[in-house]
Amino acid sequence: MEDVQVVAMLVRRCIAGDAAAWEEIVQTYNRRIYNICYRFAGSADDAQDLTQEVFIKMYRTLSSYDHAKGAFVTWVTTITRNLLVDHFRKTKQDRLTDSMDTAASDHEDVQPLSEQIPDHSAPPDAQVRSREVGETVHAALAKLSPELREAVILRDLQDMDYREIATVLKVPEGTVKSRINRGRAELARLLQRTYRQVM
Amino acid sequence: MPDHTSNGMQCNEFELLLSDALDGVLSGSGLDRFQAHSKTCKVCGPLLAEAEAGRNWLKGLTEVEPPASLVNNILASTTGVDTQRLRATVRSPQPRISWWEHEQASLLEPIWATVRQPRFAMSFGMAFFALSVALTVAGVKPADLRQISLRPSAIRHTYYATQARVVHYYENVRIVYEVESRVREIKRNVAPAEPGPRQSRPAIQKDKNDTTQQPEQKQERNYSQTDNHLILASAPLGTSVIDWSNPDPSNPDLPVVSVTTYRRFV
Ligand SMILES: [Zn+2]
Repeated sequence: MEDVQVVAMLVRRCIAGDAAAWEEIVQTYNRRIYNICYRFAGSADDAQDLTQEVFIKMYRTLSSYDHAKGAFVTWVTTITRNLLVDHFRKTKQDRLTDSMDTAASDHEDVQPLSEQIPDHSAPPDAQVRSREVGETVHAALAKLSPELREAVILRDLQDMDYREIATVLKVPEGTVKSRINRGRAELARLLQRTYRQVM
Repeated sequence: MPDHTSNGMQCNEFELLLSDALDGVLSGSGLDRFQAHSKTCKVCGPLLAEAEAGRNWLKGLTEVEPPASLVNNILASTTGVDTQRLRATVRSPQPRISWWEHEQASLLEPIWATVRQPRFAMSFGMAFFALSVALTVAGVKPADLRQISLRPSAIRHTYYATQARVVHYYENVRIVYEVESRVREIKRNVAPAEPGPRQSRPAIQKDKNDTTQQPEQKQERNYSQTDNHLILASAPLGTSVIDWSNPDPSNPDLPVVSVTTYRRFV
């Protein structure tokens, strides 16, 4: 996934104050971090803010990265995940004060999700349809509990292996596998319900 | 999840193998037992189908494109410099300014510091003076330097032209010395016809001797003062050489031949 020596050199250059090396790191990882944040937080605006926060944190703690302890991408993903957890706790607190709506309530999720299913009376072309399906899956993902959501995002969207995910989430591999299974199954149930309603 | 055994496999074992089965890494008897359990267990069967469907939904999600301003904003919030400025101030001038300044700082500056020392400055001054003298001798005038063309072909032309002049000059100088030595030779040949050495001459011939020696002295003076004279050597070269190869002993004034050499080349 990454050349350890190349990344280690890049990090050393960054720590030495090489602005070009830092820009290279930003260019290399911004897409990945943005996507994790977008899939986890749900909105593009939140994803943009969170991605910036991740890079600010990376910039400040870059000297603490030890390539002997693991891949740089795992370190980057761990920072991202920790910030997402903090973000979730804050927004959950906000949401609890606003309403009794929680991310884990399956039954209440069906209605808002189905609202996002497009009107199929006028059949759109495949590209539009594909985009709409993507939006529906994205909306369903936001309804998963954060533990299940982060597990499936790292596995199915970021293609990380179980050991890497276990390192990021700080749980045993067996727990990672269990969360991934439950997350996938939960997502399928949400989408089945949604499509059964619409079609 | 209900923990019951079906086909020799417990439901919790099935769940642990589920991700491996979907990854396609399960094989042999493990796969057989897994499939058998999924077909008979009312809980694990649907779980397998849902997990597979969920995974397929997720795999269908494509990566989203981050906003174009993201990198810029990240750089601005970390290094405090936005990308455009970073590129303008760090990248593009770097090869130009930093390369030259670096070379200057690392290589030229120590040399320049040495050169600025008085003794070295004096040496370089002398070297420059010597060079300018050499150039003047070679016929290069400061006025010409202004018109020097640095095109390779022009440089080649200048080089060959200068070389030709130097060779020509050398030849001319050689001819002058040749002429000079011939004159001395002739003088020596003419001398025996005249009365012997001055000191051996009788006192009564003194006046005559003085008059006969007058042109010779004049001659000598002429050659010793060649620097101030335009010595014609190149144009009448052929005839004068032939003439000098067969000098007329009866004409002692013959050596007073004006020989022109184009000492000034341009
Ligand atoms: Zn079972």
